[in-house]
Amino acid sequence: MTAVVAESLTKRFGSVLAVDDLSFTLDPGTITGFLGPNGAGKTTTLRMLLGLAAPTSGRALVLGGPYADLDRPALSVGAVLEATDFHPGRSGRDHLRTLGRAAGIPDSRADDVLRTVELQAAGRRRVKGYSLGMRQRLGLAAALLGDPELLILDEPANGLDPEGVRWLRDFLRAFASDGRTVLVSSHVLAEVAQTVDQVLIINRGRLVIESSLRQLTTRVGGTVRVRTPWPGQLDEALRREHLDATRADNSLLVRGADTERVGEIAFAAGIPLHELVTEGSSLEEIFLELTSETGS
Amino acid sequence: MIAQVKAELLKVRSTRTTLGLVVGMIALTLLIVVLSGLLTHAEGLSSKEDQLNLFGNGGVALIFSALAGVLLVTSEYRYGTIRPTFLFTPQRSRVLSAKFTAGLLAGLVFGAAAVGLALGTGSLILSARGIPSALDGGEIALLVTGGLAGVALRAAFGVGLGAIVRNQVGAVIGLLAWDFVINGLLFGLAPSVGRFMPTTAANALMGLKTRHLLPPAAGGAVLLGWTLALALVGVALTLRRDVP
Repeated sequence: MTAVVAESLTKRFGSVLAVDDLSFTLDPGTITGFLGPNGAGKTTTLRMLLGLAAPTSGRALVLGGPYADLDRPALSVGAVLEATDFHPGRSGRDHLRTLGRAAGIPDSRADDVLRTVELQAAGRRRVKGYSLGMRQRLGLAAALLGDPELLILDEPANGLDPEGVRWLRDFLRAFASDGRTVLVSSHVLAEVAQTVDQVLIINRGRLVIESSLRQLTTRVGGTVRVRTPWPGQLDEALRREHLDATRADNSLLVRGADTERVGEIAFAAGIPLHELVTEGSSLEEIFLELTSETGS
Repeated sequence: MIAQVKAELLKVRSTRTTLGLVVGMIALTLLIVVLSGLLTHAEGLSSKEDQLNLFGNGGVALIFSALAGVLLVTSEYRYGTIRPTFLFTPQRSRVLSAKFTAGLLAGLVFGAAAVGLALGTGSLILSARGIPSALDGGEIALLVTGGLAGVALRAAFGVGLGAIVRNQVGAVIGLLAWDFVINGLLFGLAPSVGRFMPTTAANALMGLKTRHLLPPAAGGAVLLGWTLALALVGVALTLRRDVP
């Protein structure tokens, strides 16, 4: 069974098409990054998946059916949409207990998940005294109450410090290693690049790319910068291997190859190299490229 | 459904909001009963109508329980907890039914506190001043049961209003304006219409003898009608509208 299916999902707010004919499928046991700039329609898509917003057309299936048809969804799906969805005057533990009661989950489970997210010491304090990172973790604790097999998180890394981001990354990896499924949205590729197996990139409500992270990296191909006293000869050698290079003084920028390939070509041609590096954050660049080229 | 009601009751108990409303209500009830009981001339407290009005000051609970009902829904929208609430229970009518039930139960507590306090304090003051009771057991029973029922219904009324007007400030101001401005003006200027307003109907349900009030049973029916109407509209809108 597929974990999540979106079929031509469309949401219109007045004259604004927030989500436009979006289709994708998530298989169980995968971590998927749901990426796009702010306002791309990520949250609206997640709200439709979770039954909080009705699609204008199309449909969303979670674990085989519409979310709203699940009787006690907390036992199979855990979701966090906003990091700040708490009553400030209620303790974190009571927040979890109120939700748990509705799903028939015992109070002891609230203490379990507080331990999981390392909030046990703050559980009986009012949420108004929590930092943003603590709120993020409390939201995650609520999603984990029912020990779900599918986790849907909207921008969970927002407001986390580097240590928190690493904690989240480790947590998601451990969660998915049991064969469970994660859909995690972000507007910053770097936040999820080390965690996810595949990415869905949307922009202006439309799917731009659905691919595994490996394919995406290959597609970027890496831009390699190489410095040599013989740039002309190297340029020729690269051309023979059907690689394009741009020349700037003694440096060449090579697209569509990695450092190993360029180094081997230079070695075979007997050309000395003074520098050989992969240029910049190439994944980030393709993300920016993909999300700015459509529709503008 | 019982699990959902338990969840809603825990929401009511786990913040200080409800406690604050109860404390405010008790203070206001005491203040009004003590002031009017001590400052009114003895002949102004001797008739049935006078004494019913004195004890009927427990009716301040009608606004407090309605506020509690409004907050039961609107604070979920204000603080965003409505999202996890509906994620855990996507059957939205089940959530609202539980809120109506929790509202009625909380309203009973509000009613018992305010009506009991007004009756107890008022009786103490009357006997201390040597004013004989003009009320029979039936009238006092009606005051208590009608008060409890009216205050409880008003909490459910507030839940319905909150489900319609999800904005907390808007709903609270709307409720206060309805009670203190529209209700008051209509009953003063056009009592034949104003008697059908919710708070006036609740006063009638307590058996107060103010001129133009409906008979108790009719008052109860009118208040129940308002509550059901708001509940139905509130549920219908909640099912239709997207959760923000």
